[in-house]
Amino acid sequence: MNTVVAGITYRALLGRRRILLLLLLPLGLIGLAILLRVVGSADQRSAVLLMDTFAIATMLPLLGLIAGTGVIAPEIDDGTIIHLLSKPISRPVIAGTKFLVAASVLGLFAAVPTYIAAWLLVRNEDGIAFGFAIGVLVAGIAYAAVFLLLGVITRHAVAIGVIYALVWETLVGTLIQGAQKFSIQQWGQAIAAQLSDSPFVDAKVTLGFAVPALIIVTVGAVLWAGLRLRTFSLTGDE
Amino acid sequence: MSEIYDIGYRHYDGPRLGRGHTVRALTVHSLRGIFGLGRTARSKIMPFSLVTIMLLPAVVSIAMMALVKQPGLIPYSGFAVIMQAVVAIFLAAQAPTVVAPDLRFRVLPLYLSRPVTISEYVGAKVAAMTMALFLLVAVPLTLIYVGELLIDLPGPPGTGEFFGSVAMALVLALLLSTFGLAISSLTPRRGLGVASVMAAYLLSSAAVPVIYGTLEMSGYDSQARWAWLANPFWLVDAVQSSLFGTPSHAEGPYPGGPIPAVLVVALIAAAMAVLALRYRKAASR
Repeated sequence: MNTVVAGITYRALLGRRRILLLLLLPLGLIGLAILLRVVGSADQRSAVLLMDTFAIATMLPLLGLIAGTGVIAPEIDDGTIIHLLSKPISRPVIAGTKFLVAASVLGLFAAVPTYIAAWLLVRNEDGIAFGFAIGVLVAGIAYAAVFLLLGVITRHAVAIGVIYALVWETLVGTLIQGAQKFSIQQWGQAIAAQLSDSPFVDAKVTLGFAVPALIIVTVGAVLWAGLRLRTFSLTGDE
Repeated sequence: MSEIYDIGYRHYDGPRLGRGHTVRALTVHSLRGIFGLGRTARSKIMPFSLVTIMLLPAVVSIAMMALVKQPGLIPYSGFAVIMQAVVAIFLAAQAPTVVAPDLRFRVLPLYLSRPVTISEYVGAKVAAMTMALFLLVAVPLTLIYVGELLIDLPGPPGTGEFFGSVAMALVLALLLSTFGLAISSLTPRRGLGVASVMAAYLLSSAAVPVIYGTLEMSGYDSQARWAWLANPFWLVDAVQSSLFGTPSHAEGPYPGGPIPAVLVVALIAAAMAVLALRYRKAASR
């Protein structure tokens, strides 16, 4: 953890109008929750549906993508990463710091709005709000690590990440049963299901698989990103 | 003392092609750039893999028509709506490559030092993106139609539906490209542009069914229909449905009447206005 690197990264991620991009989807989520309340269908079923289809399946991967790649990809893109890499800071520490920044941003912009949206609908019934907030937080941390790694490996990180989050996790995940095991969303869902007593929350993977998978993916991706940065070579644009 | 050296500058004696050709050259250059032609192999991967994904349903459709002698699995009018995620990813991935580099490297004044005006520059970019999106949707449609004609299914071919859906593909392409370029021209960073376009699309595609479902369950049936108009693909499908009488390809009916069409025109005009404002500012730097 290096506080100067963290400060620069926070400024790069949240500075100027870029914070609007991070606010767009959480505000959409809270707006939908308010709409559900206004038309009077604020029950557990619709709350869980909103969490499943919007919070976990749409908002979380996209925010993970923006935050995870946003902490490193723009710097690689315009070449300013060279100023950071030429300083006597260990490269794994740089990767670790950037991961922590991305994870904390996801906690603030994904987990907190998820809790607020679920709380607006069902208050604290059956631990739905708490369960989904923790599930989103944990899955968000894993997304931050994976997309950070993707941002170090390829220049098309955002497009590849979108394809993973949309095509693999939603399309392939629903068509091929086995593919659901390799989906960060489903692991977050498993945590939410564990923490909530509501009969509407169900998970397709067991907790015994989800927790080790989350830890291995997160730690592995951050370590690999650090290793990649050690032998990083800047290449020209396209 | 002083002496003028002849260092060999030559005058240009060739034909002067005029304004139209500069715009055409810029359009063709942008269109090639969208598909990565004339660039590295790495920048061809993304557009061409998405084109391949778009062609897959067409191939499956033709195979089904040939083997079971039944109409294919995707109706012409519903093709764009069913494949909307792929079209949106293509737009998000490629729209920033059209506008971002010129903004980032501040080469706009170089373009404008030639007889190209700002509106011609923006027009060329919009035309290129529109053409690319139109090809992305219309080529698989045409492939299915040609397949249907060759296989000669019992009953008349769906010629009317095919031409209707190709016309709507052009409208959809224009709507998406103006919007995508307007959003991605706001940032000179490509990655950020991709994420912005994707966020805007996902917000509309994920929120709309939730809004529709909620309103419909609560008994606001007539209001619920308006929710579909918040997503560009369903909006254009609604226009198609009122123009050509095709069924709705959303999970519920659309509001009829001229309002969806008016909305499409208004949205295109709004996106064009954003582009004009943005480039007036960018050109003055």
